[in-house]
Amino acid sequence: MSDQDCAVRLEGVTKSFGSHNAVSDFDFEVPRGSIYGLLGPNGSGKTTTIRMIMGILHPDEGRVSLFGGKPDLVRRARVGYLPEERGVYRKMTVVDLLLFLGEIRGVPRAVARARAADWLERLDLGGWGTRRVEDLSKGMQQKVQFVGTVIHEPELLILDEPFSGLDPINQDVLETIVLDLNRNGTTILLSTHLMDQAERLCRRVCFISHSRKVLDEDLRTLKARERRGVVAVDFTGPDRWLDIPEIQAVERVGGVLHLVLADPGGHQTVLRRALESGAEILRFDLVEPRLHEIFVRHVGGVPAEALPA
Amino acid sequence: MSFRNVWAVVRREYLQRVRSRWFVISTVGGPLFLFAVLAIPAWFAAGPGETRPPIAVVDGTDALYDRLADDLREAGFPTERARWTSTVVDTLRRRAADGEIDGFMMLDQFTLESGDAVLYVNRRPTAIQRATVRSAIVRAALEVQLEQQGVDVDAMLGGGGLAVELLTAEAAQEGEPRFLVAYVGAFLLYMVILLHAVAVMRATLEEKTSRIVEIIVSSMEPWHLMLGKVLGVGGVALTQLLVWTLTGALIVMTGLPALVAGGGMQGADAEVGRTLMSALPGPGLLALFVGYFVFGFFIYSGLYAAVGAMCSTDEEAQQAQLPLVMFMVVPIVFVLHVIENPAEPLSVGLSLFPLFSPILMWARIAGGAVPAWQIGLSFVLMAAAILAIAWIAGRIYKVGILMTGKRPTFSELWRWVREA
Repeated sequence: MSDQDCAVRLEGVTKSFGSHNAVSDFDFEVPRGSIYGLLGPNGSGKTTTIRMIMGILHPDEGRVSLFGGKPDLVRRARVGYLPEERGVYRKMTVVDLLLFLGEIRGVPRAVARARAADWLERLDLGGWGTRRVEDLSKGMQQKVQFVGTVIHEPELLILDEPFSGLDPINQDVLETIVLDLNRNGTTILLSTHLMDQAERLCRRVCFISHSRKVLDEDLRTLKARERRGVVAVDFTGPDRWLDIPEIQAVERVGGVLHLVLADPGGHQTVLRRALESGAEILRFDLVEPRLHEIFVRHVGGVPAEALPA
Repeated sequence: MSFRNVWAVVRREYLQRVRSRWFVISTVGGPLFLFAVLAIPAWFAAGPGETRPPIAVVDGTDALYDRLADDLREAGFPTERARWTSTVVDTLRRRAADGEIDGFMMLDQFTLESGDAVLYVNRRPTAIQRATVRSAIVRAALEVQLEQQGVDVDAMLGGGGLAVELLTAEAAQEGEPRFLVAYVGAFLLYMVILLHAVAVMRATLEEKTSRIVEIIVSSMEPWHLMLGKVLGVGGVALTQLLVWTLTGALIVMTGLPALVAGGGMQGADAEVGRTLMSALPGPGLLALFVGYFVFGFFIYSGLYAAVGAMCSTDEEAQQAQLPLVMFMVVPIVFVLHVIENPAEPLSVGLSLFPLFSPILMWARIAGGAVPAWQIGLSFVLMAAAILAIAWIAGRIYKVGILMTGKRPTFSELWRWVREA
């Protein structure tokens, strides 16, 4: 990938703190316009990686480039960064905080004021602009932090464990906004240990475990490759056809039957047999593996909460 | 674009602080408090003491009553004259029991000779009242005795007059020693510098613990953030000093002369008022005060910012700032010595040390004479110290502000400074 097509590129990046290796020999590229998921258990090196991209930490070895160059202040001003541990100035009013966050990335106050008003309206915080941040609920504060992250209309949005602790409705609202921003050209780098969230948002995923990259692939390709020959079916008519050697097992999952095939590529044969037996097929789906399963398969074990940060 | 960042931080820091309740209270409340301290006692003294029944004075000497009456009234005892009779004590006791009078005082020949008198009262007088009455009696007795000798009593008891003629030209150039200005000014500098330097530390700590600093330093150089904070808080301090100076000047120029002339102060009080006015610092001294404040604030706020950045909790910061407090306490320990002996080598040396200059050089200047070159040198040395501190503190700040966990040791701090 050329530098032009690449928002972020890491080459052979290593970073350790004392004897603890936070990131080891790490390579990846975030294509422009993509939604890229950095997935890993807590403590696997996601936050350290992001801090190096944001120029807050410097790699011991290797090279980090942002928009094809050093992550200097000028390039960083084109990034919207929502850190995992996000703070606010509690005593400031919502609008003052947003103007300040815009100002330090070079947005004139008048422009920032108009954008802030739009965003607050869009996020149902219209009447709260002149209130102090400390008067807002946790969820509202998170939304204000999100606005602070996008107030300078960044080309790249880096979200570290975003929307954690937000209620499902607001989580939905913000995810929709993230998808909208992406549709309008914003590149998204998302770090999370929530596989469902990654599955909903990401176009490409990168698994990290114990400071190393395990896998880095387009999500659809990955899922196609990880298919395990399971078919979800619903039908009326005779069910004798289920009793064939091509079908290894039959499980009832909710309202549908899951057929575990003996040969992962054998679904065409099974479908033919079903039709020949005179059954009327209402549904015949290849079941996509869930990202969670794939992650567990590759990283080995559920996301651990207890690893050192 | 980087200095726009600094400006944004300065602006935020300044406006947030100036708008806060604490600032309004201390800025407006400070002068009000000072005014109250000055005015309320005067008001009480001038206020109604007449509701109290008088003290009957039996003056066996016939010379003391007229000299005493005014002083006694000022001490809170209005008086009336009572004639000596053989039954006067019984009569006065009865009247005191009836509440017609508050009590009575017996003066006689012994009073004239030894200052002894007896005061019979219903209520125990306060220590101050007792002392005032006693000294009024002694003064009155002395006046009577001295007048008989042909002495100018007012001039003598008023403290006489000592004219000072200087024999050398150098000495003639020195300013009048102004102990009060030197001493009060030094303490004021100590307080204002410490107060606002600690404010920088707390603000740094708050940004660090609330984690907003991560967002900010992803958009600007850490030392720009530090610079912005120091300038913002410094601006607040200067605003406060300006308000105080202006209101102070207003009170002095309008209130004090009125108080002196308008009879609110009498006799000795008026004297105090006039001394106070002549002791007030002029514009040159004020400018030096601001100069030493600004340089001292830059020195200490840089150090305090570094302390705030290397700590994670308030308790840790309280401990870590102790060495800095020591540096501020040393000049306070020496300030009296320096005011008394401004030209001694020890005083000169201490006052040129940049961390002590803001307080000790000021004390020497206000307290006596300092050659201009020493004042200049102190500012040059302080400027050099500011640059050195900014360099070191900036590095500690840069590393520390993103660190969590336990406080670094000195060797770790040194590594931060080297590697940052």
